[in-house]
Amino acid sequence: MPTDGQASFALDEAVDFVIVGSGSAGGIMARELAGQGFDVVVFEQGPFREAGDFTHDELSVIFNGELHGGPAASLGQTFRDHESKVAEVPQFFPAAEYARTVGGSSVHFSGNFWRLREIDFRERSLLGPIAGTNFADWPLSYAELEPYYTKVDWEIGISGAPGPFDSPRSRPFPVPPMPIKSAGALLEKAALELGLHPQAAPVAILSQALNGRAACIHCGYCMGFGCEVGAKSSTLATMIPQAQASGHCEIRPLSTVFRLKTNAAGRVDEVLYYDADGNERSQKAKAVVLSANGAEAPRPLLDSASAAHPDGLANSSGYVGRNLMFNGHSLVNGVFAEPLNEYKSIQVTRIVHDFYESDPQRGFYGGGGIDSRPLFASTPILFALAGMPLDGPRWGREFKAALAHNFTRQMSMIGNTTSLAVDSNNVTLDPTHKDRFGRAALRITYRDHDDDLATAAFFRDRSMELMEAAGAEQQWAYPVEPQRGGAHLLGTCRMGDDPETSVVDRHHRSHDVDNLFICDGSSFVTSGRGQPTMTIMALAFRAAEHIGAAARRLDI
Amino acid sequence: MREHDLTRRLFLKGAGSVAGTAALRGLLPAIAATAQAACTARDSGAAFAVLGADEAAALEAITARIIPTTETPGAREAGVVHFIDQAMDGFMAGQLGMLREGLAGFLADLDRPFADLDEDAQDAYLAARENTPFFEFLGVLTLFGTFALPSYGGNRGEVGWQILGMDARAHAHAPPFGHYDAVYREDHADAD
Repeated sequence: MPTDGQASFALDEAVDFVIVGSGSAGGIMARELAGQGFDVVVFEQGPFREAGDFTHDELSVIFNGELHGGPAASLGQTFRDHESKVAEVPQFFPAAEYARTVGGSSVHFSGNFWRLREIDFRERSLLGPIAGTNFADWPLSYAELEPYYTKVDWEIGISGAPGPFDSPRSRPFPVPPMPIKSAGALLEKAALELGLHPQAAPVAILSQALNGRAACIHCGYCMGFGCEVGAKSSTLATMIPQAQASGHCEIRPLSTVFRLKTNAAGRVDEVLYYDADGNERSQKAKAVVLSANGAEAPRPLLDSASAAHPDGLANSSGYVGRNLMFNGHSLVNGVFAEPLNEYKSIQVTRIVHDFYESDPQRGFYGGGGIDSRPLFASTPILFALAGMPLDGPRWGREFKAALAHNFTRQMSMIGNTTSLAVDSNNVTLDPTHKDRFGRAALRITYRDHDDDLATAAFFRDRSMELMEAAGAEQQWAYPVEPQRGGAHLLGTCRMGDDPETSVVDRHHRSHDVDNLFICDGSSFVTSGRGQPTMTIMALAFRAAEHIGAAARRLDI
Repeated sequence: MREHDLTRRLFLKGAGSVAGTAALRGLLPAIAATAQAACTARDSGAAFAVLGADEAAALEAITARIIPTTETPGAREAGVVHFIDQAMDGFMAGQLGMLREGLAGFLADLDRPFADLDEDAQDAYLAARENTPFFEFLGVLTLFGTFALPSYGGNRGEVGWQILGMDARAHAHAPPFGHYDAVYREDHADAD
């Protein structure tokens, strides 16, 4: 058992910290706080899978939601695209997509690890207000976060090389970029032809051995799958074992936190959760860190409403659950004359960041980056169901011939773009539907802002130009439409200096509750350009340092 | 999933250490032979668990038009009908009633078994119903059964992956991966 030999704490004795979530932020928080000598219990909804438990079973992982905790319809979520509508249970993909397993979504991500740039933190000051949105500056700068980005590079393990537009870095990458793939070679050639500046993609996948971990063997099962050799830099492969080895950390899998109880002094002193059998249990705690992702962090806060906190815990601002941002996306497919064999190795090896910054000349806010990757051409069922030309046959001889021809010759270009923070995109508790524990389903309300859609269309057009310059024999763009779900769950407990317009302060402490901290994608003020996990991890390293220091000076 | 569990465990045994990845590549032929033996043993028995003989015959004939046998194998050779049988006896058990009723309704306009029609008549019958939810459902089942792991009962002999030119048996790959990165490496001697 992966929990053998780890620390174990009694439910009725207050541990120093309960950490809710074991993913990108929670795993780091666990290792950092336990490493400082604090006793921590980490709650994870899913099971404790290890590298040897991960498979190449596409049907189970991609279509039956093995790592999500089951098929979409079973997950206790609902979705609507406007607050005036009644939300419905999604049938195919979850509205808020995340992995329920120790290591969280860092287990199943594709590993694109872009740092934010200096401008990301102060776009509101640079560009001015945007009517009808909660567009704001971050309460910290790139320079303040840079040392923690570097910590992610070296302790989590990032492969890459500096790009022409990157903000300054204090240390080089620990290992070189991953070997270029055909999609990367084609994007690089096309971008150079168009006078752009392609660069090697930074990824959380090891090109060479690092910190006792093996390098990638290019099996091709990154996107949505767990890594069988631990070369993907999840917190499962990096932080979690170190947290356990400290002797101060208990990982408690199959345990779903649903409410935080506060005492007469207004402090959190108890965490209520469902155990593996669905029984209600409670863990006493001196302090709580929510690192459960942008959908699951607001949920127990909203579910902890009481006479003292009528709108939910830590929610005097009304901002808990608001400002949900998925990042925008555009998608173009291209088929080439010769085999690319994109089903081998990782998703992305080259990116183009020439259109990163918002440009007032375009007439709308937004920016992003373009990558090339297999996407559909990673795995055969996904390809056959979703990756074929939109107007082509779906069965018969011609369909089969196209499948056989295209699978090894196809790639996608994705525009990874901004989302604006607006009140009407949010996470709330569904008034009708329940989850399997009987609590309110998680209701996602989301419609991309018009500027987000305009940005995605801009990136679709640039991608079509690049695909043509790359020499595709056949290419097609997917229509830009409002998204009906997302895997980037950002902004729902935003950080800020003003308690009226933010949930946590610049050090991730709740404005309302002194011993409650929230650090994950929910902390984001703006969305960045589509690859948030690098920043989630850097924020976690930084927050853990501040939280530990505060605890040592008894300021919690 | 036994043979693939075996493959995976052998694979991990080799890949568990940094030095192991080279050893792993050496082991691959032996792993492949072991898995193939397991598949062959399984394929020799062919009774259906939940499908009736008429249902199985109709489903085999329909799915064989979705991914037809051409110069390469199709859904029939992949054993898609066995995938459907196994799925309806397992993770899709809740949909067996829907499959059964849907199939009966889908074939209701015929005066003889679908499998007895010639291929042109079969295609015409399907073309007239290609936008019905039931036919789309059969399309999904056909793709699952052609391309999922052989342990689900289809993709026999891994013919689904072979149709696509996918070397799925290799659990590890090495550059160059495709034509364009091979050319890139020639042009950039210092690449990687």
